[in-house]
Amino acid sequence: MRWNIEYKETWLHQTNPTAKLLLFLPMFVVIVFVHNPNVLINWTIGFTALFMLFSGYRMKHVLLFFVPFLFIFISTSSSMILFGKGETTWFRLGLIHITEESFYRGVHLGFRTLLFAIFGLMFALTTKPVLLFYSLMQQAKLKPKYAYSFLAAIRLLPIMLEEFQTVHQALKVRRAAKAKGFRGKLELMKRYAIPLLSQSIRRAQRIAVAMEAKGFTSERTRTFYYEVTLGKYDVYLFVVMCVIVAVGYYMAGALPYVAIKDVR
Amino acid sequence: MQTKGLKLTDVLTTVVVAIVFGIVYKVWGPLYYAVKPLGLHLDQLIYGMWFIAATVAYLLIRKPGVALLAEVAAASGEFLVGSEWGLEVLFYGFVQGLLAELVFAAFRYKRFDVAVVSLAAVGSTIASLVLDFYKGYIDQLAWWNLTLFIGARFVGAIIIAGVFAYSLVKALEATGVTQLLRPTTKEDYDSLDK
Amino acid sequence: MIHIEQLRLKFPGAEKRLFTDVSLSIKKGEKVLLLGPSGCGKSTLLQVMAGIIPRSIDVPMKAKKLHIPNRVGYVFQDPDAQFCMPYVDEEMAFVLENLGVPREEMNEKIAHMLQRVRLRLPHVHVPIQTLSGGMKQRLAIASVLALEPDVLCLDEPTALLDEEGTKTVWETLKEVAEDRTVVIVEHKIDHILDFVERIILFNEHGEIIADGSTNEIFSTYCSFIAEQGIWYPDVWETYEKPKTAQQPYVQADVLLHVQSLRGFRQKEEKIAVDELKIYAGEWIAITGENGAGKSTLLQSLMKLIRTEGDIYWQQQPLTNDELLYDNIAFVFQNPEFQFVTNRVDDELAYAFRLEKRSEHEVAEEVERLLERFHLNEHRHLHPYQLSMGQKRRLSVAASVTERHHILLLDEPTFGQDAKNTFALLEWLEAYRQQGKAIVMVTHDERIVSQFATRRWVIENGKLVADEPIAPRMLVRGGMG
Repeated sequence: MRWNIEYKETWLHQTNPTAKLLLFLPMFVVIVFVHNPNVLINWTIGFTALFMLFSGYRMKHVLLFFVPFLFIFISTSSSMILFGKGETTWFRLGLIHITEESFYRGVHLGFRTLLFAIFGLMFALTTKPVLLFYSLMQQAKLKPKYAYSFLAAIRLLPIMLEEFQTVHQALKVRRAAKAKGFRGKLELMKRYAIPLLSQSIRRAQRIAVAMEAKGFTSERTRTFYYEVTLGKYDVYLFVVMCVIVAVGYYMAGALPYVAIKDVR
Repeated sequence: MQTKGLKLTDVLTTVVVAIVFGIVYKVWGPLYYAVKPLGLHLDQLIYGMWFIAATVAYLLIRKPGVALLAEVAAASGEFLVGSEWGLEVLFYGFVQGLLAELVFAAFRYKRFDVAVVSLAAVGSTIASLVLDFYKGYIDQLAWWNLTLFIGARFVGAIIIAGVFAYSLVKALEATGVTQLLRPTTKEDYDSLDK
Repeated sequence: MIHIEQLRLKFPGAEKRLFTDVSLSIKKGEKVLLLGPSGCGKSTLLQVMAGIIPRSIDVPMKAKKLHIPNRVGYVFQDPDAQFCMPYVDEEMAFVLENLGVPREEMNEKIAHMLQRVRLRLPHVHVPIQTLSGGMKQRLAIASVLALEPDVLCLDEPTALLDEEGTKTVWETLKEVAEDRTVVIVEHKIDHILDFVERIILFNEHGEIIADGSTNEIFSTYCSFIAEQGIWYPDVWETYEKPKTAQQPYVQADVLLHVQSLRGFRQKEEKIAVDELKIYAGEWIAITGENGAGKSTLLQSLMKLIRTEGDIYWQQQPLTNDELLYDNIAFVFQNPEFQFVTNRVDDELAYAFRLEKRSEHEVAEEVERLLERFHLNEHRHLHPYQLSMGQKRRLSVAASVTERHHILLLDEPTFGQDAKNTFALLEWLEAYRQQGKAIVMVTHDERIVSQFATRRWVIENGKLVADEPIAPRMLVRGGMG
């Protein structure tokens, strides 16, 4: 779905979007209740491998996708490393206080965020939005008015981005594209937001009217152009995920990288 | 002509507006970790931007359910254009939207002033902090650091998702586009006969 | 087919009712044109006839009798605001889904509908965004036809299209609407006069002032129609352009000179020109097909996008881009995008305040502009609350100051009625007479042949012609 980067359709693309979402989302909760960094490191390795092998994207692009992750890894782990509580002091300078405990806790947090990011990327890169919402209507009984609103909004995305650029140019020409100070910056944001939002509101209204004029109602039962079903690939995904989770968990106990078992 | 629940126009407008903010949310990510190294939790001051879809959409459409829908839609938009935080944003979006919605519900969807939206912003802040508590071990930060962290987030949220959102919608009202969104009243019908 | 008796309608918050006791009826198979000045409520009435008001848009209204057809096909003005799906086939399928058509039958139906509007595509799964405006409107017609409507309502379906798109859309509509009832709201009527049989004429108060056959209305009300700024067929023939138009300007210095200029979008080269010169007192028209790179050329001249090449301002190499903004004004296609304040008078004052002029001086300048551009009555309004024509005037008035020497305009007459178009052209001509240069992207050949002094033709991102235009006198003629 992203910016027309070429890819091969792999079995991950063939999975049911709703099923994929329902497999990925609970991982958030599971990960939040894991406090052993060894487990998270193993899972990160496992799911990164799954992603790299079966996302269908070229390695060059995959590595490019991972660049921002490095930033969030550092950004999420740093405050905890520098300012977290702990007993075994490694380094102290003014307010900065690095301890063994805070260090591992920080790294653990970094891996957590990394895992969430990998799940997000894996989902986004292997799911077509149109099929996601068709699937949500068919498998999760999402009301059509919500599904089609999302699809209409996604269709407007490139138009809105283009409009943003035009507004930017127009303000530049009138020398109104810069502002000083916090208040000025907020005023500037308004200056961009007003034309974009008002245009979007009008367009949304018109599209809604046009949709109803084309016979859209919530009352009648509708047929679907795309029939999205569950299939064997969903079972594959389920099994693969179970294996990675179980093996990663077991190996963390059997062959730990670090001695700490609980970072709290 | 009021039907039960949100009409297609309401849903579509909410989602489209929210997706605009979804892009802002996405752009906000790099900005957020760019200001992070600047100092001690200065980044928390701009965290409130991630709550703004709920309050703006509520002030625009003024109907039950809109705040939650907007925040979820904005998070989905952020996610779909490739957020660095991945699926996590959906959880945050849902919980932040839910708390904002509860604040509006507590006032029976009758108040649209700056105080109520600021309270909703506070609600969203609490929601995000609860998730951070579980996800980010924020209770394990040194106490002075934690205080700074939480304080900055509340202040930023009230300024951005409360006061700024309110003034943004006021400015939008001046353009006349919001006329399309507001339900008609009995007086409007009565004036047909005058 | 349609029967309305004593319709009353008022927008919430409006001062006056839009309609007071309007009655009309339309018989099966009739082809009717609703004609009147902007803001008279034609489109609103069309929406009432289609049941859109009050079903989808909640506007207070009541009528003694209201008989409207069950199945109405409605084609809207804005090609970008009537689709909800990203691909052609998906959009068509959306309508079929609404009707509950079984999935197996959809592909065949989609192909059939597209065929009927002559929308030939390499494949049905084509992104709607890649279609031209005219193709998008034909897609809209195709999806409406799937509803098997009794009545077709056409709400300025070609207002936002170029000449070519307008022609093909009307050709298509005439074909598919032959045996249906059709109600049309339209300002550019040259293409449809042979198609509509009946015209209902409104005045600015939303009252019907005439209702009769096309010929009858045109012979009786021709001066009224002309006053309303409607684009009727002979409008250019009856128009008297300023005497100075196309006369060469005496003191022609080179203002802007560019050499091997190339403009990029993302990393792609979108426009390349070897050499261009803009002289004082010129009126240059940029023409070429949609997507040829006309707007991109304007943006490159102003360095709004990434460019390479040499730019000279009054013989001096350009040292900083700010110099361009100081000397060149740019009027965008959508005026709203250029507004930066909340009031008409503040908008006009903005440029002067930026120059740090005294408030007293600013006030004087603003008064002068309000007068000059007929915006005095609306000075307290928000710029967005103005009509199309007023917005355009404001955007010109606010962007152009005395410092500027060149004015770039991107299709400034697009979607404007005849009255506003002529007013703008006349103002531009007077501006040119002060020794300023005008560079304007346009699709309107009439403007080129009647006002421009030079023409640049753009094709596939290249300048293929740079030719002077000889002044042409108009043959005066009456209305046809």
